[in-house]
Amino acid sequence: MAIYLDNAATSYPKPEAVYQAVEDYQRNIGVSPGRGAYQRAIQAEQLVFNTRRALGQLFNISDLSRIIFTANVTEALNLALKGLLGPEDHVITTSIEHNAVWRPLMHLKKERNIRVTRLANPEGCQLDVAELEEVLGPGAELVVVNHASNVTGAIMPLQEIGSLCQEYEVPLLFDSAQTAGVLPIDVEKAGISLLGFTGHKGLLGPTGTGGLYLAPEIELKPLKEGGTGSKSYLETQPEDLPDRYESGTPNTMGLAGLKAGVEYILDRGLDEIRARELQLTEMLLEKLNRLEGCEVYGPGSARERVAVVSFNLASIPAAEAAYVLDEVYDIMVRAGLHCAPVIHRELGLENRGSLRVSPGLFTEKEELDQLEKALEEILAR
Amino acid sequence: MLERVDITYISPCLAEPDKIRLKARLGKSIEEVLPYLNAVMEGASFNPAVPCITIRRDFRVLTLYPEELTMIKAENSTDAMQVIEWLKKQIRDIWERKDEITPDYTRSEKPHPLMIYKQLPGTNCGACGETNCMAFAFKLLGGEQEVDNCRPLKEGDYLESREMLNNLFVS
Repeated sequence: MAIYLDNAATSYPKPEAVYQAVEDYQRNIGVSPGRGAYQRAIQAEQLVFNTRRALGQLFNISDLSRIIFTANVTEALNLALKGLLGPEDHVITTSIEHNAVWRPLMHLKKERNIRVTRLANPEGCQLDVAELEEVLGPGAELVVVNHASNVTGAIMPLQEIGSLCQEYEVPLLFDSAQTAGVLPIDVEKAGISLLGFTGHKGLLGPTGTGGLYLAPEIELKPLKEGGTGSKSYLETQPEDLPDRYESGTPNTMGLAGLKAGVEYILDRGLDEIRARELQLTEMLLEKLNRLEGCEVYGPGSARERVAVVSFNLASIPAAEAAYVLDEVYDIMVRAGLHCAPVIHRELGLENRGSLRVSPGLFTEKEELDQLEKALEEILAR
Repeated sequence: MLERVDITYISPCLAEPDKIRLKARLGKSIEEVLPYLNAVMEGASFNPAVPCITIRRDFRVLTLYPEELTMIKAENSTDAMQVIEWLKKQIRDIWERKDEITPDYTRSEKPHPLMIYKQLPGTNCGACGETNCMAFAFKLLGGEQEVDNCRPLKEGDYLESREMLNNLFVS
């Protein structure tokens, strides 16, 4: 049996209800939402709305029209950064950011001459909140923080960061790619101005889904213009949300699945999901720490991480180890820089990368036992 | 109490094409809830003869019948669906506290003439026999005119306005 341990990239398998919801939409509804005056189009529209409602419940969002659906969190972050930042603006961010943040920022640096201040994450762990306060002092237009590293799994202190941003009145763009559906995120309590999320990881939905929440005070330029199925007599983009930012036929099939995924999470509860994840992470860390020659990066304690663990096996190249795991043991893990070059550079791994194991909600303990055995054998070769 | 609301029709508002109107079928009759809504909801306009109640959520106007609802002036379909969620919660909350609420079965007082005037086509055509639409609004309130005497309202595409005025004046 194949063992899948790359849930930080895409969660797999999904709850049964997710497959059913996608199939049900495709077979029994199957039409564009809001583009027709017939019953089916209204049903499709209602389905999309119900997905917003489920997400609103999960993230405590009261105005559901402020949830903008996008193809993934990368598109959400691009919309946020490119729609918000103007010439010479100052952005504060961290070293654990994904290329979904880095690359748009580097592009804006060139295009709009923005200034980027990057906080350190020593050893791939926590950032220093005092350091954040120091750089917030002189003012900034935006703070961008990844809730948890997709390399070391290190969790950032959401509440403290949110409170500081509120105190200094700087909007906070929060990237929940690795945490939505696992850790509690309350946009109001945490003071999040913009929340980027993706549907295909912890939210247990299909790929091609994601979105951006905008707090009432946030005003963005759209990333794209086009048909919205509403106010079609206007030659310009409508101003009302979410239509302003949602041009083009949406991924209704994906959103049907995402709704089922989020409802599964709401039903099971974040506490139970996080407890399961902690159990697996603790077990994984224990096993890796027992292996001689295995160097684990990031926080030592499972409580300070999501279920993402990166490491290297003695001097064995990560890509080679991943290849052997797949080819010989049928175990799927990820190797490389995981789209996060800065944190690898800080860890001194820019030329080496790392091997990343990320169990999911449906990973069995026995599967981690098999991974351990395989890693032992690879090290003994 | 009200779990199912199936929207059956959505289209742009005629008077304000940048807003939408819709109709929805309710999963079960809410007839017995209407007097409780009338007792609790501020600015509600209740007519037991229809029966129906008109309530407002900011700029949107909702009319609730026992097994149907209509909404006008919603921003877009997401907004309308959000208002329906709000309504469901209101009805659920009110029904949970129904023992503490004294239902109000009385017909709401007559509306302001300006409110009536706003629903009229505003053509000042005189077909009703009045000099202008404002005069017609006053006469309607006084019971000296009938909604159907407004020819543009009857012949033109003013479905919601006609319905709303009829709801107010049916006895």
